[in-house]
Amino acid sequence: MDLLLLATDQNTPFNYFPIALQLVVAIGFVIVMMVVTHLLGPKRRTSDKLINFESGIPSVGNARQPMAIKYFLVAILFVLFDVEVIFFYPYAINFAELGWEGFKAVLLFVAFFLCGFIYIVKKGALEWEE
Amino acid sequence: MKAIIAATIIGVVLMFTGILVKEKKGIATLAAILFFLLLGVNIWELSTLDANQPQAFFNNMLRIDRYSVWFNTLMTACTVLYVMLSGREIQKVGIHVSDYFALMSFMLVGLYMLSGYSNMLVLFLGIEIISIPQYILAGSDKKNLKSSEASLKYFLMGAFTTGILLMGITLLYGASGTFDIARFTFLQADSLNPMALCGIIFLIIAFAFKVSAAPMHMWTPDVYDGSPTPFTAFMSTVVKAAAFIAFIKLFHISFNSLSGHWTMIIAVITAATLLVGNVTAVFQQSVKRMMAYSSIAQAGFMLFAVLSISATSWQGLIIYAVSYTVATMGVFAVLMKLKDFTYDGFNGLAKREPLLAFVMTIFLLSLAGIPLTGGFMAKYFMLTAAVEQGQVLWLVIFALLMAAISVYYYFRVIIAMYFKQGSPEMSSPVTAGDRLVLVATAALVILLGVAPGLLLKFI
Repeated sequence: MDLLLLATDQNTPFNYFPIALQLVVAIGFVIVMMVVTHLLGPKRRTSDKLINFESGIPSVGNARQPMAIKYFLVAILFVLFDVEVIFFYPYAINFAELGWEGFKAVLLFVAFFLCGFIYIVKKGALEWEE
Repeated sequence: MKAIIAATIIGVVLMFTGILVKEKKGIATLAAILFFLLLGVNIWELSTLDANQPQAFFNNMLRIDRYSVWFNTLMTACTVLYVMLSGREIQKVGIHVSDYFALMSFMLVGLYMLSGYSNMLVLFLGIEIISIPQYILAGSDKKNLKSSEASLKYFLMGAFTTGILLMGITLLYGASGTFDIARFTFLQADSLNPMALCGIIFLIIAFAFKVSAAPMHMWTPDVYDGSPTPFTAFMSTVVKAAAFIAFIKLFHISFNSLSGHWTMIIAVITAATLLVGNVTAVFQQSVKRMMAYSSIAQAGFMLFAVLSISATSWQGLIIYAVSYTVATMGVFAVLMKLKDFTYDGFNGLAKREPLLAFVMTIFLLSLAGIPLTGGFMAKYFMLTAAVEQGQVLWLVIFALLMAAISVYYYFRVIIAMYFKQGSPEMSSPVTAGDRLVLVATAALVILLGVAPGLLLKFI
């Protein structure tokens, strides 16, 4: 405990002792859990258990097949707009303090995103059938 | 700041013209006009800026002074020249012509941020804004396997280096508690924090990658060779200059007092870059690939600006950036007219297109650093700065030796054009407009060699 107090006290690289401690604990936890489950758990290998898990559906063919780029496109667009929404959470919390200045900034942000949205719709990124 | 807003709006406008206008030529013309307007905005900003009073924006995260705005103006002018030189070739790359121009406009936003940042976050943002469009442009020739390879290679390596850059910024923040490049507190500390030193080394690695300095140059030949030629011309010039101004800004303003710790590292990087760039360029068979190695070699010379902390090196950086950019764009403009990019493809060009061969000779002489061209003055300023600093005289001698080697591979093209027999195949006819722009570019190269002071007038 004294060590931890010392660590928070001085402005040295020793400051980072708690972080190193956390790192050791995190890695140690993972190693211990893996080793323990490996040693304690019963082992029953059946052919059903060794096949790839595909959401309860019997697996078909190889995973390394060419597939339409549209899946990737939709996924990446989803991530993009999802991140946009994430930016609203901190804004919602600080809504009152930021006032009109913050509102204008957010409006600008949304306007740019809207530009992007119109662009992808017009470019036909969301048209499934060609 | 005005320029940043204008470039962003121009980028968005260009994005949407692709939907409204289907004709490629119309888009290219519009892009040229808009870039010209952007140049006007830069000049307007330059004229309204007080010489002794830097302007600060966003809580002092962006500090724009005379030097940075003048640098922006020159680089925008180079972009206008580039659009005029290779606008027709850009139209041939693919179907999304408007997007290519829009991405270039966004890259200029990144350049404006890199020349004016005073906060590590803006530095990071600027580097990302300038890098991501490059990944896309490198892969814009979608049917070409080499282009895809270039894009993927550049993206993976670039993303990895971004991680190193971020780690460096994090360590510096941990050591000083601030992102402001003018207020790193470890500079005043008696004992240097090892964390800060680590951060500086990480930043050197990240910047060396962005300016393609050895030993972080591995991506350069493949990416520059694989990318569509007009985009190689842009990536190896304007973007590289932007990375350099960010480099010199950080190391001269922030780490000035620590120069004892990093001068030798940069000196070794410079020597390695000069050696690798020049010696490997000698063995290339393709002129395009030779230009990729030549851009590494030229980066080695530009590193002299980072190495020696003085006003001369800041002036030298502007002169070097502009004269290298103009000459390289010229070389690529001529290269794009030819079908065969090997040295043999140039055989007998002087017979078939005497003017093209002549301007190509001027550009190559400038890159080799022959007097009366811009390249000579540029190298002169760089080496003067190093001599003034006095610590790395061995490097100056080494650089001169390497410049002599560079003459060999630049002159190989000239020899092929003038003294060898052959009938080069052209990819497109050379119009009167092409000739006019090429002659103007060549005249600019000579002008920079005769009166380099023109570039320093507005700082």
